[in-house]
Amino acid sequence: MAIARVTDDIIDSQQTELLVSSDVNGAICTFVGKVRNHSRGKSVEFLEYKAFVPLAEKELMRIAGEAETRWGVNVAIIHRFGRLSIGEASVVISVGSPHRAEAFAACQWCIDTLKETVPIWKRETGPDGSFWIEGDESLKTGCC
Amino acid sequence: MSDTRQTVQHPPPAEARLIGAHMPTSGGLYKSLTLGREIDCSAVQLFTCSPRQWNHATLKQEDVKRFLDAKHDTGIVFTVAHDSYLINLAAPSEEILWKSQAAFRSELERAEMLDIGWLVTHMGAHLDQGEDEALERLAQSVTQILDETDKLGYKVGIALETTAGQGTGLGWRFEQLGRILAAVGDHTRLGVCLDTCHVFVAGYDLRGQKAYELTWSEFDREIGYNKLKVIHANDAKKPLGSRVDRHEHIGNGEIGAEPFARLMTDPRLAHVPVIVETPDSDTMHAENVARLRRLASGQSPKISVTVQLYGHLSDVNSGEYLTLEMPFFATVADVAELLAKRDKRLENIRANCRFAVGEEYTDLTRKVYDGAVVAVLPPVSGG
Repeated sequence: MAIARVTDDIIDSQQTELLVSSDVNGAICTFVGKVRNHSRGKSVEFLEYKAFVPLAEKELMRIAGEAETRWGVNVAIIHRFGRLSIGEASVVISVGSPHRAEAFAACQWCIDTLKETVPIWKRETGPDGSFWIEGDESLKTGCC
Repeated sequence: MSDTRQTVQHPPPAEARLIGAHMPTSGGLYKSLTLGREIDCSAVQLFTCSPRQWNHATLKQEDVKRFLDAKHDTGIVFTVAHDSYLINLAAPSEEILWKSQAAFRSELERAEMLDIGWLVTHMGAHLDQGEDEALERLAQSVTQILDETDKLGYKVGIALETTAGQGTGLGWRFEQLGRILAAVGDHTRLGVCLDTCHVFVAGYDLRGQKAYELTWSEFDREIGYNKLKVIHANDAKKPLGSRVDRHEHIGNGEIGAEPFARLMTDPRLAHVPVIVETPDSDTMHAENVARLRRLASGQSPKISVTVQLYGHLSDVNSGEYLTLEMPFFATVADVAELLAKRDKRLENIRANCRFAVGEEYTDLTRKVYDGAVVAVLPPVSGG
């Protein structure tokens, strides 16, 4: 059963791995997306993620469910929103599978798809100000 | 002939207005009532048999009982039957006239068994064989059948419906109905049903105070408010005077919301039950009945929509929701357009953003309802 959640709590990736662990799974593949200190040539001090929570959870659930069906794996996706500092995890995807090929493939697919479709937006703040990231664009914003 | 002093001193409160819809009967006649209750009808119209066939078996006792029980259980006090489309009580052909009269008697019999108050019928058609003669035949048919059914102690009445004037149909001018009423003579079991779409496409305008009053004063002069037993509330797809009968959702058509607002708060009409016969009955009857209730309670024929802007667009209102007033029939596209006009920063949302209503992605053609929450979602950047 796929697990997908949007939370403003710190994500514990070990806990997430436990959600997809079982005696039949010989491989666990975990992706952790973390806040880095640079983006598009600018320095970043912190990030804020804003989510349309109900729809974001629905979408994450859809993605996790599809991955489970396509690769026959167990999937858990946790995405964080709110203010995140450098080094903190914004998203953790754990995939449990009997064998590693499916685990890698499903995990990659989940993060790639999630970045395209889930209604969550990132605002980066650095010395030059705050910028909403939208698709390929970086839009300067007045408010902070 | 008319009694314009029949202005109601104490119109019923909006919640007590008898408002409903023409309901389906597949699965049993009683379904019209149970389904009607589900969509908040306090009045129901139904066909008591298939409207496109001549011959019908008599109603089974258990079906009658189920219907009467459902009337009691649902509390729907006002029911009206609509007769078959085939009936032409003005028919020039003796054979069709005879068949029509027989069928009409059955219609009345079924309505009487089901304890239905009124049977709505169209006035027939003259088929290019002379309007005057046709009206006379209709008057004779009605007189004869009223007499017969009086003797049988029937309570159900006959309501002649105003028509759109398609082809050679009778009843598209008020004076035609007036003639029949005069010919038959005053009778408690004879009245009229006014259909807003029909009268509009027949040429009676309802838009604006002046036209509305003019139409109703003509109605009163030729027919009389006291003869009005049912109103069919339907908007019109086709223009004024086109004589093409295509019903549209309340407020979405050529008539528009404002005349319905007038109608539903008109004290002269306060005691007349209102039935919608709008399209897409499965999905839209509830909405149309709700629109009429809103209008009856004096609420604006506009709906209120909340907009949530996401991503960089949340800067537009400092992260707060926006509230928009939209017309009844607004779509997500209309919401986007209104937002674009409101703020330059929202100019391109139609092209660049996805939309959601409630918690579901939606396309621009989706209609919004009162209280809907529309989310505007720019390109995402999660992960």
